[in-house]
Amino acid sequence: MVKLIKLSSIANQDWREVLIEKIEDLDIEDIELDFNDLLLNCDDIKEINSLCCKSRKRIINIKSTVPETIVSAKSLFFKSELYLKSNLKKNIHSGSKRKHNSEEITFHQGTVRSGENIHCQGHLFLLGDVNPGGIVRANGDVMIWGRLLGIAHAGLSGNNTAKISALQLMPVQLRIANKVARGPQQKPEPGLAEQAKITSGLIVISPLTSYK
Amino acid sequence: MAKDTRIILICSGKGGVGKTTLTANLGISLAQQGAKTAVLDADFGLRNLDLLLGLENRIVYTAQEVLEETCRLDQALVRHKQEPNLALLPAGNPRMLEWLKPSDMEKIVEMLSEIFDYVLIDCPAGVEDGFKNAVAASKEAIVVTNPEVSAVRDADRVIGLLNTNSINPVQLVLNRVRPKMMASQEMLSVEDVTDILALPLLGLVLEDEQVIVSTNRGEPLTLNGSKSPAGKCYSNIAKRLQGEEIPLIDPSKEGTSFGDKFKKLMQTKIF
Ligand SMILES: Nc1ncnc2c1ncn2[C@@H]1O[C@H](COP(=O)(O)OP(=O)(O)OP(=O)(O)O)[C@@H](O)[C@H]1O
Ligand SMILES: [Mg+2]
Repeated sequence: MVKLIKLSSIANQDWREVLIEKIEDLDIEDIELDFNDLLLNCDDIKEINSLCCKSRKRIINIKSTVPETIVSAKSLFFKSELYLKSNLKKNIHSGSKRKHNSEEITFHQGTVRSGENIHCQGHLFLLGDVNPGGIVRANGDVMIWGRLLGIAHAGLSGNNTAKISALQLMPVQLRIANKVARGPQQKPEPGLAEQAKITSGLIVISPLTSYK
Repeated sequence: MAKDTRIILICSGKGGVGKTTLTANLGISLAQQGAKTAVLDADFGLRNLDLLLGLENRIVYTAQEVLEETCRLDQALVRHKQEPNLALLPAGNPRMLEWLKPSDMEKIVEMLSEIFDYVLIDCPAGVEDGFKNAVAASKEAIVVTNPEVSAVRDADRVIGLLNTNSINPVQLVLNRVRPKMMASQEMLSVEDVTDILALPLLGLVLEDEQVIVSTNRGEPLTLNGSKSPAGKCYSNIAKRLQGEEIPLIDPSKEGTSFGDKFKKLMQTKIF
């Protein structure tokens, strides 16, 4: 069993105190840390880790809305993921499908390499490639200003109007809502942006004319 | 003393792509070119750098004793007889991995930096503890891969991790290139590989039976000049590391015999 522990800057308290208070009397060993909007550097995360070690807790996963925090966590080899502000709670509590079509866009710059994975609550806009073995997922649309060679999943929580677009669409696999499609066998022509969406129950790829 | 020692991690993700062979040959080449070079085996579980260099029987102390302070660094270093600019710091026994921390590795490398111009760290395959320890101590990296989908995939994973650890520069060596197979598109091309990995190409190494012969002898190819195809490649890589500008070989022009080349030349002249 994993216990989720949330910290944030909103409380305006020192996160050390909050963390110690939260884990002190916990009898579960494995914890997941949600740093929300806290900007933490490597030293902070090292400190957190040693605090956790002292109370014999093991960090299984780290989440945050701040890219810098996730980069710090990743550089220390923690399993970690970036998520988008505010929507997470709404989605969990309301469970409403309409919320997934949130207009909020997460922007990510840089190549998503093999073994890396990006997950966001609204739309995802990626400036860079998704290499084979890399995975990008969003509750909304996935837009890739680059090549999609790995796996993309749009409409993660069931929105089957979600779309995936890329400058070059040659994924290993595409997923929209609960539909799965294998990537095309042939290389598409370069210079032809493409879009994938569900048309009569199937994922169909077509040239991208306009983003609607 | 601020010495600009270059601490280079040689890694790959996938096993068996040629990290140890590159480390040994690069070590010899750099030493031949006058650079004081140390090679270090970070692969405690399956170490074999000592074997490749033919130094196995001369090991007395290892990095383990240096860390435990039961011997001095210079006692543990094994200097190569023919290339005294090159020294190997042997890895401790495999159980050392259980207690070795990134800070221990940093300590070792720091000590080596006082003496050497280059420290080459032969990294174990995978991205587990051995890799993490080695990354902690390194400044730059050479990623070795083969023109195969699985090797490229694992290299990509490793590059992502190197980037988040601010290792810079990270350069690429493509090993076991077979020009004929590339030409017939049975093998990934150089472009296919660099396209995905998006790293500067430090060099190509041709597939060469002599590599295997020399491995078994414990005499790296580069030791006796660079007459064999792969030996030449390794020595060029060392020169490029030192900042010399040497053009990359073009696989489409390699592997054709002199006769073929002559015929081609005649054809272009006549027709
Ligand atoms: N250019 C080459 N031509 C032919 N054989 C090669 C070449 N490079 C490496 N090899 C062979 O490939 C095998 C693996 O090489 P090596 O031990 O250097 O790989 P490694 O990456 O260090 O492996 P490990 O991950 O197990 O440490 C050896 O048998 C070696 O002789
Ligand atoms: Mg090896």
